[in-house]
Amino acid sequence: MLRGLFSRKKQQQEVTLLAPLTGEVVALTEVPDPVFAQKVVGDGAAIIPTEGVLVSPLAGSVTHLFPTHHAIALTSESGLEILLHIGIDTVKLKGEGFTPHVKAGDQVKPGDKLISFDLDVLQKAGCPIVTPVVITNGDLVAEKKVVSTGSVRAGQEPLMQVIVKGGAS
Amino acid sequence: MIRFDVHVTAAGGLHARPAALLVNKAGQFQSKVTVIKDQKKADGKSILGIMTLGASLGDWLTFEIEGADEEQAAAALKELFDKQFES
Repeated sequence: MLRGLFSRKKQQQEVTLLAPLTGEVVALTEVPDPVFAQKVVGDGAAIIPTEGVLVSPLAGSVTHLFPTHHAIALTSESGLEILLHIGIDTVKLKGEGFTPHVKAGDQVKPGDKLISFDLDVLQKAGCPIVTPVVITNGDLVAEKKVVSTGSVRAGQEPLMQVIVKGGAS
Repeated sequence: MIRFDVHVTAAGGLHARPAALLVNKAGQFQSKVTVIKDQKKADGKSILGIMTLGASLGDWLTFEIEGADEEQAAAALKELFDKQFES
């Protein structure tokens, strides 16, 4: 009983994801790949980049850098898992056109450079350049909204606001 | 518990798309699904967990499935690899 009285409510945390790319924000449903468009990977947003520099949307750590450097997964301090997938079908480029600036296990701050990429290489290979930004552990999300529409600047403007359920840490 | 091995034959290994399809399939069952590569274990219902295994073309993975519907889950997951993630 007493414990019930004194137990503190686990606090929800609000996390802001900055735009990881400079470009145009579009709905995930417009991504020409059903696993992203139908949110099988997770919910979020997408950006059509105008510059080939991917930056970190939040403070956290690099959980996984794909060996082909076309995608990266981050885990925020609050436990949110974010997948940033540069372009569509870009796994087939086998790393060509991508230059990573971090490795798995690195700590990153919002705005830190993660991967540079050559938009020309993607386009010449016929890969759509639209880049999904999704939360892969949506069960941790109490609420989220995409706060940007139109054009955004990488690392400078918010893309999404997420409320993470309490007790994640 | 059911345990079986699969050979990764998809070009590019278990990158985002196959990982998402695998987790989506595993999530349709009650059973606990564990995927193991070189003693690294991942929750078969976590996309990031599966991607972090870094399974590449030619790798072998071990599945351990435990629960009331383990037989159905095992069959569905094997089928995914047999069909190379094409539905």
